[in-house]
Amino acid sequence: MRIGEIVETMSTGFVAESFELNRPPPLGGLVVVRLPGGEASAGMDVYAVVTYGQTGGLDPSRRAVRRSTDTVFDGAIYQEHPELNRTLRTEFGAALVGFAVDDRLRQHLPPQPPPLHFSVQTATAGEVQRFTDHLQYLRLLLAPYGQVSPLQVLAANVREVYQHRGQDRVWLSAAAREIATLLKNDHESLLTVLYAIDPGQVPPSVGRGQVPSSAHEGAPA
Amino acid sequence: MPLKLGRISQQMQDMAQTMANLLPAEENLLERARDCLRSIHADALCEKLEWQSRQPVRMPWLVAMPRSLPHASLPTGLTDTTVSPPVPPTFSVVGVDASSIPPDRHSSVHYYLVNVGYALLTYGRDPDAILEASSQLCFRDEDLYVFPEKRDVPIEGILLSARMEVEALRLLQQVPDLGTWPTLALLDGPLILWTLQNETQEVQRALLHGFLSTMGFLKETGVPPAGYVSYTGSRDVANSLRVWLCQGQPNECDRCASDDRELCLALAKIRDRELYAFLATGERSQLFSSSSQILEEYGEQRVDFFYMNVGGEIVRVEVPRWVASDADLLSFVHAAIYDQCQRSPGVPPYPPVLQEAHEQAVITAPERRLVEGMVEQALRQYGRRVVRSAKEDSKRRRGV
Repeated sequence: MRIGEIVETMSTGFVAESFELNRPPPLGGLVVVRLPGGEASAGMDVYAVVTYGQTGGLDPSRRAVRRSTDTVFDGAIYQEHPELNRTLRTEFGAALVGFAVDDRLRQHLPPQPPPLHFSVQTATAGEVQRFTDHLQYLRLLLAPYGQVSPLQVLAANVREVYQHRGQDRVWLSAAAREIATLLKNDHESLLTVLYAIDPGQVPPSVGRGQVPSSAHEGAPA
Repeated sequence: MPLKLGRISQQMQDMAQTMANLLPAEENLLERARDCLRSIHADALCEKLEWQSRQPVRMPWLVAMPRSLPHASLPTGLTDTTVSPPVPPTFSVVGVDASSIPPDRHSSVHYYLVNVGYALLTYGRDPDAILEASSQLCFRDEDLYVFPEKRDVPIEGILLSARMEVEALRLLQQVPDLGTWPTLALLDGPLILWTLQNETQEVQRALLHGFLSTMGFLKETGVPPAGYVSYTGSRDVANSLRVWLCQGQPNECDRCASDDRELCLALAKIRDRELYAFLATGERSQLFSSSSQILEEYGEQRVDFFYMNVGGEIVRVEVPRWVASDADLLSFVHAAIYDQCQRSPGVPPYPPVLQEAHEQAVITAPERRLVEGMVEQALRQYGRRVVRSAKEDSKRRRGV
């Protein structure tokens, strides 16, 4: 499903304008930009993880002002001020975490940023499953980008994927172990992520471990 | 910095002190002026104004003549007020505005650009908003001159401002589904294009043609237009009070020995918005007709006006007589304007529909430079080069 259009793009990620006001894709969600193939090149699906959402004036020089009254507030404000749907915009940022060419999945930055004005789509359940079978992409999420802490984006991604994979506890344990490896020299950061991905019970045991073999099948080189 | 801020700062202090010293006397005179307004019967004022208009010497001021709705008696007092009626369950307001890049006398290329924008906001069960703009680069003789065949009367300055008003109003003819609901068409500024007053009748007619024909279109469509004048500086009612007080000829103030002379001279400095500061929020004054000479050219689109308190500001609202003569349309205009101001997040309020129309119409400084660059590029493609005056060139270079 198309959810936005790229309005700023770079090698590490992009900013997209959301088609729906106040409804950016969830933090940590997996999105995809589909690039059609040409005569000399194959098509490419570029994957990215949502790193922030933001709503403000379409014109950056116009700041939003308070609109509520005693009787008109929250959703009713948009009913009483229909111009807001034309003067506000929601944007979201996404960090590039991989791409697929000819069905081969790679979990590193693509050779070129996705083109400006291309559509951003939510990744299908199958794509989330397939992409997150490998966990190398988590490393890319630890790079600093934007206002939201990379640790929080990383944790949001793990939570999102966990839900998309049908509360896959095996995958969650593997992801936690991968994160433990990545943050082995930063105990405080590691705890921050583990607390944030805890689905409600005792966090998975921390320690260097092996991702289940099934998750390694077809792992990128 | 060549500007001597230190010296100006002292002058600012002097100005503020002078104004503060004058305040008690001004407030006293303003109260006397309001007493005068309260004491006059509308029909007696009409009689005096009509008598004065029959005198051989033309009245030196614009005056306001109290008007009544058809089949209704003239309000007895000039301070009669009407509270804002409710708006219909579903209705629209469309606002229009215009801006321009004026012709540059210091450039070898003669052109101007007009950008007009509108905002159509619908309220009620299915709220909606349409924001659009339309631009036109004007470079042909028929655009540049009022009389292109003679290349006479260039459209610039006041005439360009009038052209912008005309184009803004004409844009309403392109608004889709206009009038599906009860709809108010709001203009930012007066409907009385009084700036054309000093032009010849031919110039006035040439420029007013599109304006008046669009007003005719709106009448057929059943969409009342209204001119919204924020922080109005008009003195029509104050001038009518001066005529009321005058016991001689209004153009012979130097020889006046009346006891009311002080009040009369004070009225020359009082704005109608100060006189009508007693209006409660949402209330409007009674209707007045204007004595503006340009209205002689308006025919059936002759414009009347009233003042209203939109909540923190007294504004002047101008409507054509076919609106002023229709109690329902007039009520709708009154109600929709007050409703707009209640929706405004600002204090004092300003109709959101005009704010959005302005945002559509405005041409920013970077856009102006962009247009200039695009024109130069287009000319270069055809072997032409833009030549600028030495003065303009020097200002741009600013070399040291």
